[in-house]
Amino acid sequence: MTAHAPRRATPSGRLLLNAATGLVLLFLVAPILVVFPLSLSSGELLVLPPPGWSLRWYEDFFTSRRWLSATWNSFVVGGWTMALATTLGTLAAIGIHLGRFRGKAALVAVLSLPIVTPVIVTAIALYFALALVGLGSTLTGLVLAHTVLATPYVLLTVLASLQTFDATLLRAAASLGAGPATAFRRVMLPMIAPGVATGAIFAFATSFDELVVALFVAGPQQFTLPRQMFAGLREFLSPTIAAAAVLLIALSAILLALSEFARARARARGIG
Amino acid sequence: MSRRNLLAAALIAPLALLVALSFLAPLGATLWRAVEDGAVSTALPRTAAMLRAWDGEGLPPEEVHGELLRELRAAQEDQSIGPVLARLNFEETGLRSMLLQAARAAPRLAQPLSRSLPELDPRWGDPAFWRLLKRSATGWTPLYLLRSLDLRIGAEGVERTPAGEAVFLRLFARSFEISLVVTLLCALVAYPVAYGLATMPPAWATAGIVLVLVPFWTSILVRTAAWFIILQREGPINAALLALGLVDQPLTMIFTRFAVYVAMVHVLLPFAILPLYGVMKRIPPEYMRAAASLGAPPWRRFLRVYLPLTMPGVAAGSVMVFMLAVGFYITPALVGGSGDQMVSYFIAFFTNTTINWGMAAALATLLMAMTGAFVALARAFVPGLGAGAARG
Amino acid sequence: MAQQGDAPLVVFEGVRKSYDGRTDAVQALDFAVARGEFVTLLGPSGSGKTTTLMMLAGFEDPTAGRIVLDGRPINDVPAHRRGIGVVFQNYALLPHMTVAGNLSFPLEMRGVARAEREKRVAEALDMVRLGHLADRRPAQLSGGQQQRVALARALVFRPALVLMDEPLGALDKQLRERMQLEIRRIHRMLGVTVVYVTHDQGEALTMSDRVAVFDHGRIRQFAPPAEVYDEPADAFVASFIGENNALPGRIVARDDAWCSMALADGTTLRARCAPGLAPGDAAVLALRPERVLVGPEAWADNALEAELLETVYFGDHTRLRLRVGGHDEFVARLGFRDGLARPRPGDRIRLAWSAACCRALAPEPAE
Repeated sequence: MTAHAPRRATPSGRLLLNAATGLVLLFLVAPILVVFPLSLSSGELLVLPPPGWSLRWYEDFFTSRRWLSATWNSFVVGGWTMALATTLGTLAAIGIHLGRFRGKAALVAVLSLPIVTPVIVTAIALYFALALVGLGSTLTGLVLAHTVLATPYVLLTVLASLQTFDATLLRAAASLGAGPATAFRRVMLPMIAPGVATGAIFAFATSFDELVVALFVAGPQQFTLPRQMFAGLREFLSPTIAAAAVLLIALSAILLALSEFARARARARGIG
Repeated sequence: MSRRNLLAAALIAPLALLVALSFLAPLGATLWRAVEDGAVSTALPRTAAMLRAWDGEGLPPEEVHGELLRELRAAQEDQSIGPVLARLNFEETGLRSMLLQAARAAPRLAQPLSRSLPELDPRWGDPAFWRLLKRSATGWTPLYLLRSLDLRIGAEGVERTPAGEAVFLRLFARSFEISLVVTLLCALVAYPVAYGLATMPPAWATAGIVLVLVPFWTSILVRTAAWFIILQREGPINAALLALGLVDQPLTMIFTRFAVYVAMVHVLLPFAILPLYGVMKRIPPEYMRAAASLGAPPWRRFLRVYLPLTMPGVAAGSVMVFMLAVGFYITPALVGGSGDQMVSYFIAFFTNTTINWGMAAALATLLMAMTGAFVALARAFVPGLGAGAARG
Repeated sequence: MAQQGDAPLVVFEGVRKSYDGRTDAVQALDFAVARGEFVTLLGPSGSGKTTTLMMLAGFEDPTAGRIVLDGRPINDVPAHRRGIGVVFQNYALLPHMTVAGNLSFPLEMRGVARAEREKRVAEALDMVRLGHLADRRPAQLSGGQQQRVALARALVFRPALVLMDEPLGALDKQLRERMQLEIRRIHRMLGVTVVYVTHDQGEALTMSDRVAVFDHGRIRQFAPPAEVYDEPADAFVASFIGENNALPGRIVARDDAWCSMALADGTTLRARCAPGLAPGDAAVLALRPERVLVGPEAWADNALEAELLETVYFGDHTRLRLRVGGHDEFVARLGFRDGLARPRPGDRIRLAWSAACCRALAPEPAE
């Protein structure tokens, strides 16, 4: 990574810039941090500073059937979405990379439409369609909907991985005696694996955090964690929501770390 | 097709099938639903057929009156009258009660109906009513799309809806206004931050990027909920302001436009910072040095060299932010007041609350069209704007 | 070294390659490579040399003609079954495997048992003196080390033929020269047949048994380095290899292998004559600068005086640019032995060279 030349700007100019940057970063992170002490409050109102410290809201979360089933649903839906999206997206990316035809860019644009379409539009479109085929308020319908939303991310990530893949390596493998299938298995697959992993993590995160589609497509039995939180915010405001938020943030941080780890592994191998 | 392309097609097919069936088809169905108008044709088929056959001048023949009442009563019996009433009442308020009244009174009405009905309610004798009925029987209608643009079909054709009902153009304007303001704010804030991060020593820069990535990966709901909590009258900001003595009354920040702006900027800022950061890191320092050696002072170097070079990053980030902002639902719904809701709120409203799927679909169609037009314009004016502007 | 009389290892029969159906990247190639020979395909970019190599490796298909390897036509044999070692321009080391893993890979493809694999990998690494780097990843190696690993990998499965596609292009001058000697050493040690592609004619001359000079898809000359250098077949080869003076003129008289040529300003010179030139034909006189004797004592078949236009100091010699035969780009070299005081532009310098050193060649058609 080329280091950007530090401008011979005035030291006070640099200080100002650093201060401004710091403030903005604080703005970005502070709200997330605020949730932490609120979740440990012993009081029943969402006020700061909290009257005392307590783990009761976490206890509430982990003993509540509603919250636990919502969490379970989120993991189930997220897992299925991740599996489907990763499979479909990776296969399609390999197919697009492999094929020799015009209009690849257009095809990728069409397959990526779900992420450029406003979510609300996708949500009601899926709501109508799933209701029509009797999949409204079912887990299958929700998984299908989330898969549609998540697959473009996998597609684009794996495609990017493939594009930085050096085709000469496949020729080298052939010159060493590896047939096309072996070359794919031993050379291409390991090299795009980090890209696939990143895409998979993204797909999981997309599904886990998704709310708008879940608002329309999920019935009470399929409430995911965000859906449950939304209901909580609208109806019964209690610090349990803060506890749920903290758990969600922790999960996001773990997913982010995993994703960065996969990228670092790829870079260490000189891939992508 | 070559063997290679055959294999490629086989690999792409599953996803293509998913997108076609689970995305394109539903979207198409939504578009269709915006103009579809089968309520009357389905519940009152013979009346609808007769109306279609009628030429639309003056009043329709006597049989139509009779058939209408007959089918109305039948629809009442088997509970299928609801959509018809909703559809007609949507186009003109008061028609629901008028039709129900006539259906109830039908056995007692004297022949010819063309005379006894207007005695019940003068609108039965108004050709405009019958023309409206005829229009509703064609199977498709521009009604919802027009209404979404604050237009309707009046006596002489397309005209504006009365002021009390004309909310949608203002709604679109508001959505665009909010989105533009948020986009502008994000761009203005992201630029110096991205520059700061791009020019920091690596250790600090990495820490800074992590502070941008963590919110980026945190769900929109959690971030919005956090603001929901923070901006309360009893929330931490007011507590701090009161404690510092800066105000003596807690400020009302929640359910205001201010809250919407703050929360949306907070959610969308990483989308503006990350592409910019990427672009800035890839600008070779030699360009600025060359400009300096050619005699350009710092502000000129910035305006004539650095800014143009970073434009693709600004454009990519801004397009992304705008597109996301325009479709936002959760954030305005949670932290905004009734005057801050955007188009998406009404799409949800028509879908869930009033079950007027025609309007929901029409608004969704227009939203999609406007977003698409915006993206097309952006692509045309800003070179190098790819479809792969997704994360990471 | 090449064994005369044995059947050639590689034969190209009428091989043609066209990418777009209109222009030929390679036109009607007919040549053979003997067993154990080190052949270099030399030419400027786009001359077809790399295409030829790719066809031999199996990565491109000929549009017409036959390629025969060890007596068997291989047009329909896919690349992964040809058993030819290839060293790629960018090395193409598999980045997710270690050095040992890269070398082991072709042996795995051939079903060699693990113990034997490890032995052969160790041998191959020793041959290129990189045994201590077996467990590193390619990304952790320097350019020169990567190049040697690529070489070892192409040889570890003991192919009869090894192809090298400009393998030294990315290295700096000193490393390149060291690697040229290394490759030569390994070639002599193993006796393997090598087909080497490069655009660097110095490399071609130092390393090869024979050089094939490519131009626009055709081989202009296919001969040992000395022949290509001293007896270029045509004006293109003469100009492409080494530094060359090309003086335009006309054949005046022909006498068997010799001829008299008149330059633009009337000066007549005696030269060896390329076949096919007759009196009256336009011709180009090819003469290497180092063959030109400079100074008042210079004397040979061809002698004249020329005006000095420019001098450039090169350390071990001074380069002189003179006007000869109406031509302003004539180059001669002034070594320290030539006993001439520092000449200055404008001086008249005496030049001489023997008729055996220069050749009259057919001129290249105008581009």
